[in-house]
Amino acid sequence: MSLALSASLATARSRSPGVALLVLLCVAIVVAVQCGAVPVRGGDWLNLFWPDVTGSTPGGRYVLWNLRLPRALFALLAGAALGLSGALTQGLFRNPLADPSLLGVTSGAACAAALTIVVVSGMHLNLPDGWRIWLLPASAFAGALLVCMVLDYAARWLVPGSIAGLLLTGIALNAIATAVIGLCTYLANDEQLRSLSFWTLGSLASASWSLVLVLAGVLAFSMLAVRRLTRAMNALALGETAAAHVGIEVSRLRTQIILLVALTAGFAIAWTGIIGFIGLVAPHFVRSWVGPDQRRVVPLSMLLGGLLLIIADTVARTVAIPAEIPVGVFTALLGAPFFLIILRASRHRIA
Amino acid sequence: MLMRTNPPLLSLIAAQTRLGRRSFGPFHLDIEAGERVAILGPSGAGKSTLLRLMAGELPCSAGSAALEGTLLARSSLIELSRRRAVLPQSTEVAFGLDCDLVIALGRVARHHDPDLAHIVREAAMQAHAGHLLGRRCDTLSGGEKARVQLARIFAQMWDREAGLILVDEPLSALDPGLQIDLLDKLDAFARQRGHAVVAVLHDINQALQAFSRLLLVLEGALMNDLPSHADAVPQLEALYGIQLQCFDDGQGSTLVLPWRAASAVTTS
Repeated sequence: MSLALSASLATARSRSPGVALLVLLCVAIVVAVQCGAVPVRGGDWLNLFWPDVTGSTPGGRYVLWNLRLPRALFALLAGAALGLSGALTQGLFRNPLADPSLLGVTSGAACAAALTIVVVSGMHLNLPDGWRIWLLPASAFAGALLVCMVLDYAARWLVPGSIAGLLLTGIALNAIATAVIGLCTYLANDEQLRSLSFWTLGSLASASWSLVLVLAGVLAFSMLAVRRLTRAMNALALGETAAAHVGIEVSRLRTQIILLVALTAGFAIAWTGIIGFIGLVAPHFVRSWVGPDQRRVVPLSMLLGGLLLIIADTVARTVAIPAEIPVGVFTALLGAPFFLIILRASRHRIA
Repeated sequence: MLMRTNPPLLSLIAAQTRLGRRSFGPFHLDIEAGERVAILGPSGAGKSTLLRLMAGELPCSAGSAALEGTLLARSSLIELSRRRAVLPQSTEVAFGLDCDLVIALGRVARHHDPDLAHIVREAAMQAHAGHLLGRRCDTLSGGEKARVQLARIFAQMWDREAGLILVDEPLSALDPGLQIDLLDKLDAFARQRGHAVVAVLHDINQALQAFSRLLLVLEGALMNDLPSHADAVPQLEALYGIQLQCFDDGQGSTLVLPWRAASAVTTS
């Protein structure tokens, strides 16, 4: 492992950060899978491919295949979705402090989740059991998409063509969503209140292979769509007017970015709850590492977002075995000092 | 012979536009390929609005604006970006992109651009920004940023002949040496390719010396459209409400020096 680490550091120095991040990601997956209450041995890994191999523990294979691997991959993909949407949002607002929540993704998902937990589950709908577990994430995803789209349309109508206006409209919509969440909190009974506050702390416990596959599909689609946008996103750094002068349809680009953020961050948040800071820190760090060219920032933010969330989730799972601390606590706890270090390192440029 | 039958490079026909509650225009004028046109007028008169109308950035609320016979409103931004470039007032670039990338952004709408690296380098050299390649934009001084933006315009209009370059007061914050240097670079570039240059200016002397035609804008309308010549001085006095004293620079050009308005002089 230390070999892999030093190799990845060497590639980092030889200026291919993508490869370095990929190596680190593989290392992180292996470490994440090893850590936990039930030990996983080398034999369990072999057992995945050759069922007859000895040296495998009976529980080890089950834990490895059904719990740890999907969870590590889900953390990777959810982190990648958050990193990607963070990079897109910062590019859209031309501001390194922007975060997907400015577009209403988080508050939209949280608002829908609160309504589902408090109002819909109180209606005693006669849903089949198979559907019940999908209700919360599905409505959270719908809420994220809905608020993002309403934001785009409302801002287009209220303040046509202004990205600063989009930001201000977003603040107003976020306030409305927060008010609805507050109302739900007030109306909730003790049990509902508990599930609501757990949802807002964020957790990757819902990981499963089917979820990993769906999220991988969503991310693959987003990556293909984003590849066409990154060149145009660089032009946004000149300002909306100058970007239009060099031939960029800013309003179309803006809608595409908003939809992609809603899709990726909305999907991840719908299943994990609120996981803050990754969307902010990952692109920020990448930018101070490889420079601000969006063609590199966007894909590398995905990789770094995945890496950060795997690390945070592994810590959250293992620091207080057998209890599991919500991962949202750790992303902020690890991310914020990290952010301060970057801030210190870039002080000359900010001044 | 062909020139006669071609439509003018840019033609505004009774073009009007609105900005909030204010209405601007109607503007009625043609710009021919290779012309040097300065837009002059007091602050708030509508100079930049006229320029934005020419750039296709503001829609016409009445009348029409056409580039080479095609209505601006009907052209896509990509088509427009190949025929006209705009040097903006603000030179700020978010995130501190590299200068190379900023210059290359002039050509971002072209999907197949094999000579990009070469053009970026040449455009930078021609704008005297060659030494800035590889540096981050947020480490540059104001003058250096202006050079990089100029190089971006050059890259955009590099392989195009007889296009239109619109310039929005880019020089007012720079020192006089730099102003003259950048205007010369722009003039040389436009001359090589037959581009027309339309610039919003504050400095009357620059307009008289480096431009061949003056558009005088007052209170949202075109007050005068006349050749850049010493004979224009009375109109300029009326435009700004000042008195101008003329000097001969010894090389056939006229320099003017603003005085206080006559009423102000008598009361003091």
